[in-house]
Amino acid sequence: MFDYAWFIFLTPIIFAPIAAIAGRKTKVLGGVIASISITISLILAIIVYIGLRLTDVPVYQTYNWFGNIDAGIYIDHLAIVMALMVSFVSLMIHLFAIYYMKDDPRQNTYFGETALFTGGMLGLILSSNLLEFFLFWELVGLCSYLLIGFWFFKPNAASAAKKAFIVTRVGDLLFIVGLAILYSLLTVRNVASPLSIPYLINNAPLIAKEVGAQNLTIIGLLFLGGAAGKSAQFPLHVWIPDAMEGPTTVSALIHAATMVTAGVYLIARVLPLYENATYVAPDAVLFIGAFTAMFAGTMGIVMNDLKRILAYSTISQIGYMMASLGMVTVIGTSVIGFSIYHLVVHAVFKALLFMTAGAILIALMELRDVRRMGGLWRRMPVTVTLMFIGSITLAAIPPTAAYFSKDTIIDAAYLYYIRSGGNIYSILPWVFLVIGALMTSLYTFRMFYLVALGKPRSKLAEEAKDPPMIALIPLMVLAFFSLTLGIIQYRFYDFIDPSTIHVSVPFMVEFTPLTMVVIGILAIAVVYGTGIWKNMDLSRSRVYRLLKAKYYLDYLFTRIIAERTILPLSSGIARIESGFSRDVEATGAGAMGFGSVLRRIQNGIVEYYFVFLIIGVALLMLILEIVGGI
Amino acid sequence: MFILGIFLLLLLFAIISFAVREGAWKIATVESLLILVLTAIYAVLRFTSYTGGFMSVSSYPVDTSIGISFSTGVSALSMALLFLSAVVMFIAIFVSGREKFNRSFYGLMLSTEVGLFGLLISRNFLFFYVFWEAIIIPVFMLISIYGGKGKEKAALKFFVYTQIGSVFLLLSILTLFSFYGTAYHTFTLNMGKLLNTAFITQYITGPNPFWTDFLLFGFFFSFLVKMPSFPLHSWLPDAYTSAPYPVSIVLAGAISLMGGYGFFAVLLPITAVIGSGIAWAIILLGIFSLIYFALVAMFQTDMKRMMAYASAASMGFISISLGIGILSSGNVAYLAVTGGIFQILAHGLIMSLVFSSLYIIKNTTGSQSNLTVSGLFREMPIISTFLLAGVMASLGLPGLAGFIAEASIVLASYQVIGFIIFFIIFGMIITASYHVWMVQKSLNGPYNENLGKLKDGTKMEIAVLSFLFIIILVLGVYPSLFYHMIFMYVKGVF
Repeated sequence: MFDYAWFIFLTPIIFAPIAAIAGRKTKVLGGVIASISITISLILAIIVYIGLRLTDVPVYQTYNWFGNIDAGIYIDHLAIVMALMVSFVSLMIHLFAIYYMKDDPRQNTYFGETALFTGGMLGLILSSNLLEFFLFWELVGLCSYLLIGFWFFKPNAASAAKKAFIVTRVGDLLFIVGLAILYSLLTVRNVASPLSIPYLINNAPLIAKEVGAQNLTIIGLLFLGGAAGKSAQFPLHVWIPDAMEGPTTVSALIHAATMVTAGVYLIARVLPLYENATYVAPDAVLFIGAFTAMFAGTMGIVMNDLKRILAYSTISQIGYMMASLGMVTVIGTSVIGFSIYHLVVHAVFKALLFMTAGAILIALMELRDVRRMGGLWRRMPVTVTLMFIGSITLAAIPPTAAYFSKDTIIDAAYLYYIRSGGNIYSILPWVFLVIGALMTSLYTFRMFYLVALGKPRSKLAEEAKDPPMIALIPLMVLAFFSLTLGIIQYRFYDFIDPSTIHVSVPFMVEFTPLTMVVIGILAIAVVYGTGIWKNMDLSRSRVYRLLKAKYYLDYLFTRIIAERTILPLSSGIARIESGFSRDVEATGAGAMGFGSVLRRIQNGIVEYYFVFLIIGVALLMLILEIVGGI
Repeated sequence: MFILGIFLLLLLFAIISFAVREGAWKIATVESLLILVLTAIYAVLRFTSYTGGFMSVSSYPVDTSIGISFSTGVSALSMALLFLSAVVMFIAIFVSGREKFNRSFYGLMLSTEVGLFGLLISRNFLFFYVFWEAIIIPVFMLISIYGGKGKEKAALKFFVYTQIGSVFLLLSILTLFSFYGTAYHTFTLNMGKLLNTAFITQYITGPNPFWTDFLLFGFFFSFLVKMPSFPLHSWLPDAYTSAPYPVSIVLAGAISLMGGYGFFAVLLPITAVIGSGIAWAIILLGIFSLIYFALVAMFQTDMKRMMAYASAASMGFISISLGIGILSSGNVAYLAVTGGIFQILAHGLIMSLVFSSLYIIKNTTGSQSNLTVSGLFREMPIISTFLLAGVMASLGLPGLAGFIAEASIVLASYQVIGFIIFFIIFGMIITASYHVWMVQKSLNGPYNENLGKLKDGTKMEIAVLSFLFIIILVLGVYPSLFYHMIFMYVKGVF
């Protein structure tokens, strides 16, 4: 009865080429068609959601794809929530993009690609098989690659696209090794469809018994590798800041709201496997997530590029979602709800923030340096108000939605510490996450101060103008949801997992994150509000330089691994190869003296060669006669 | 009979192409298209309810006293590769319309196709060998007559290498032939009878295991040369680079199928006599080839040469798949071997797409070096998109044909090779890197204004390349089209 659910992801994919082709003549048509297709997806997702509420049975339809691998759709509560979020946020971003991209001559291509991306993302969410999941996983990766490099003529964009592709590819291939191990282990045990998601999540304890928790741990770690690549977790986060070279709506859609959360979704999807693995796998998720939440925040503080600040904040927020999932063995499956709720809230307010950034960049002619902005609240009051709503949500100030979503995760981390015996090692995630909250507050308000308050610090900033109101409607919708989504907190948790626990922690602990936020605001007010920052010279400070150099990770990957290891290896082997080739020729020419003979033959005409063929065959027949006669 | 009819028609077409005076290109294009359509119809008629084994089995005695008869038989393996050769030949002949080639060129191209069809439908070792040899000659002439810089050396290298391979092939066939004669006192060259595990273990391995090793060595050697695999590949870069582009398409798309076909048509039925040592050697050779060629490719600045190495690198998967098929059993083995066969098909299609778009780019810009071509997306958006699609398919992007093959092999490989799988992954990462790097340098970036104003591909070219891309896409999304029947064939042979 849910056959139409296929069209949730098929519609945008089918409409993508139509948008690209129809938009060639009438430019605006591309955006309109893409938006219509996503509206259809959204409506279908809502219908399926209502259906799920009524029947409460997951939709599962599957067909043989190849070999013993199936493909189909599997829609449970988790999937439908994600599908609703993706189609809704994507629609808002598409609507804004019609304005944002209005002067681009290739906007039809842009909308074709973003529609394809949305279809791919929805397909990923609804997949019923991990290999099918991987297909969409790579499809969205491809769209990300194409859209980062959308302004292909900019060398930075071209190079950022390449970097994004290769770094995520490393993660993806780790993921596929995990799939290979899972596949091999289950196929030899005669499982009919070894990579089917419902099978894996419903039989996880059995699988753990069959293949061993040790193997599940390895698989879990490899999946985490894939998730870290896609969701930009330490140490594979290096591609996201560069990816900001693409159009800002792309950053909003792909590198903030939807695609980068695919890694979180992957782990949430197969969380029962982590639950039944040894403690190493979920702990790795927890520690990498929590560490990234803090680590990315520190870099966000020193960035001067508006979009890069937001990029680091995305990495950091995804760290919270990851960390939440890693607590599964101690807290139970409630963590899926915590994580996905923050994911949804984050998608809404981060899309909002990126789009306000987009509106500002249009007004400032793509000037992205926050040090040269300032005072925009006078010139662009509506945009700045929207950005303010986004910022307080990002910093998790009550009563915005993120206050509820993020603090639950931080409190859960404290519960994790209590429940796992209270040793020093298990307090670390909570500490990381709390420091992360401080960092969030610091970079958010630093950004907001430099962009909106003070005096304009460049000619462009003095002459900025708000975009037309109609273009800002999608942003207002998102702002509304950023403020109000907190209301549904517990209903949301219960929808994802009916047995969700209420996290209650001591009063002091509960207010630690909020205290951190306030400290952050005060610090920014002192440093930036009074103008001290203009006279600060940090360039000597070691810490500042370390942060500016992004902890030398880019240096490690690009300079040391790529340029000093792989490239010399490649050049060495290429040299061996050409030497080898020469040696072969020398041996051949010397030993056979074949060259001169062939040169003579080559002067002949075409027909002449067929004589050779016939002579050859005749010789063969002769040999056969002789051998046969023995 | 149907397939024999197609074969004879093709032979006739080749002769016509040698003879026509005017419009050789148009005639050859129509001819190759007709062959493609007929092959597709044949596939639909005979293979929709295929359950393994051979279709269209027939035999025409030539000299029964020594067991020579022209026997035909088409398995799913041959069917997939017949389709591949027909597609590749059509594409190659079609895109060659950009240059003025004379009628012998088209005659030779169609002769190559005759050889390929003959090879793929023969079930008699004599004809198998004859066609194996016959293919070399037109290709040799195509390179040496129509090639570019260094064509003579390249053609000679190609010729010598494959000839040496063929000698070993012949020796192996003769070994089988004479042992069979001694054992059963009748002479036969029937492939089905000679490639029989019971016969080989009882009459060859039993008395003297040396002869089994000898004949396996011969087969492996000649197939690995054609594949090509490290260290027997030295002919490849020169041949690909010196050959005119349409011939490069044929080399990468169709000639490269011969080694794989040998693997799965000749060695697969006798896997039981292949020891695990040899299987491991094949796997490791495959992995080594994959990494080695990928690293060499990374350092090339000439796009054609780079893709030549990329082509060789992806052939590594075929060796890996055979080795894994030998060392595992059940569904894992089927998946690995089916993946290997699918890889031949996918690789051929993908390489035709890559080389034809490179050809159009080379023909328009006059340069194929990614150091001088830059920002092509601006001037040739459509052909650039095709090249990008080909490159993405070549690095194994899901949704395109190459992924189905690579995923099958990688998924099955863990069962046998355990964590050596990370070497395959390393190779795939390198592969992704240089492919994307090439795109960054040639298609993206600021446009090289020295190239002036360029014309995108013609409407016909776009239509034909779209057709090719759609095949690759359909095989990636709905692989069962070929996958299922290949799977049945593999199940039947094991």
